[in-house]
Amino acid sequence: MKWKQKLSENILDKLSIDFLKNQVLKNAYGNTDTLIAKLDPRILIAWYLFFGIVPWFVNDVAFLLTCFLLVMITTWLAHVAGLVMFIFVLGVFSQTGYLLIVSLFFGGNASTILPLLILTLKVTTCSLASITVFSGLDPDRLSNGLMWYGCPERLSFSIAYAYRILPMLMEEFQNVLLSYRLRGNPPDHSGWMGKIRYLIYQVRIIMQAFYPLILNTAKRSRTTVEALEMRGYRYAASNRSVKKMKLSALKVTHLDSVFLALSLLWMVGGSLLMTWI
Amino acid sequence: MNLAQNKAASQSQKLMVFVLSMALYGLATLFTELIPSFQVGIVEFSVEYFLFIPLTLAMLFDPMSVALGAATGELVFSEIMLGQFGGLGELEKFITVTIGVYVAGRMVKDPKNLKMVGLAAITGTALQLMMGTVVDILKVQLAVEDFEAVAGLPASVFVTEGFAFLNDLLFSGILFCLLPTLFLVPKLNGKIEPLLGMRPRSEQTLSGLDLKLVLGCVAGFAAACLAELLATSGTALIEWEADWAGSQTVLWIGIVVASIVAVLIFQIMRRQAGKERA
Repeated sequence: MKWKQKLSENILDKLSIDFLKNQVLKNAYGNTDTLIAKLDPRILIAWYLFFGIVPWFVNDVAFLLTCFLLVMITTWLAHVAGLVMFIFVLGVFSQTGYLLIVSLFFGGNASTILPLLILTLKVTTCSLASITVFSGLDPDRLSNGLMWYGCPERLSFSIAYAYRILPMLMEEFQNVLLSYRLRGNPPDHSGWMGKIRYLIYQVRIIMQAFYPLILNTAKRSRTTVEALEMRGYRYAASNRSVKKMKLSALKVTHLDSVFLALSLLWMVGGSLLMTWI
Repeated sequence: MNLAQNKAASQSQKLMVFVLSMALYGLATLFTELIPSFQVGIVEFSVEYFLFIPLTLAMLFDPMSVALGAATGELVFSEIMLGQFGGLGELEKFITVTIGVYVAGRMVKDPKNLKMVGLAAITGTALQLMMGTVVDILKVQLAVEDFEAVAGLPASVFVTEGFAFLNDLLFSGILFCLLPTLFLVPKLNGKIEPLLGMRPRSEQTLSGLDLKLVLGCVAGFAAACLAELLATSGTALIEWEADWAGSQTVLWIGIVVASIVAVLIFQIMRRQAGKERA
């Protein structure tokens, strides 16, 4: 009985907003010293485009497995935060598992499993490639890389802004929630009905907490935009020479060529080996 | 204050609305991505939709900026920051969220009219969910070859997706979209607009459903359908080429050649970039 209580306490502890905040921040900021983070963002985005699109259109198991192993290695190299990986695994398996159970229910048999496994392999490969690139890269470098490919300035601004504003927003949301909890009178949560009533109360508080948050964020976004306007943001965004200046920091180095060459070698070698086996 | 000035928000005000909707909806989707859903039997109870935030904002401010901001916020906060960017699938989400929120926002002429607010909220949600369902079904059909041949798969996909749609609409749609919107819109109306230096929405500042909106929606739907059709024909094309190539070895040689060409193109691009800089 005691260990059960301890376990549930441990899990609840893990699910606190503080924990979520730390994991997200670690994922966003915590890994600038990995191998993946040192690569050129443009090369990595091109690399991602290959591994994010090609697996969808190929049904060759050998090729898919080789892709999968490669992106697994790169994900490991990128030092992705634990929570992100956990959610990813949960998402992939619950989705395809659910589909499998329902298809068995509708008269499917063992032969249903193979296409589903291939589907899972495809989904996993694409997602892991994206985790490697978008989680392993520094936000500033990522937005510069996207800008080089001609993405709208709005998008790269949004990425850079999101990384700056997120810690503040999370903290504010937490504070609002805490103050609601301090002032509120939660219903008695003993028994089954009580538990449901308590859950409804919690959800209602979260919804209501958005009211002050919306007002505060409105004030903040006005300040942000006014500060941006003062520096001529909207004119700079469409100016070619400003863009050039911004992007001059990007350089393709020796490391990038090695990375690309190794990926290529892995794909060709691995696929050939697997088809022969 | 002349009428022309009230009618349209200025560019910087549109940017403010964009930033506001992006930050708020981004934060909300980040939470939903992190909070696990729980299932009771076959019915899934998840806090899937914080769609009430962009819905509320779209009814108070310029709907297009809010819709684009919400879609961008979801993309940036919950997909790119958590590294769960799904490529093509995200494009579909982007379009469906934009259309759903925009339509809901345009439907409301007067935020004080609660009946219209509720109707618009549920319409926007249903629209977004329905488009998502259709795309989901098509996606599975594309990814699994010989879709019809696999026993039990087609029926199960239609049933799971259809059920998920109804479940989402009736549970998340009412609890997390309709009710919070009905709560927030009257509360925020008249309070939040001055913070961004605008006038509250009234009959004059926005014309409701007009011809332009209908045309825009038709164009949006057409674009979405076209994208789907392109994707379908794209697979057919690749399948056909593989047939023509015949043997595995030819395929591998093709891949090697393609990668060499890609590297060469990159070299040329680099050199071009270098020249531009020099």
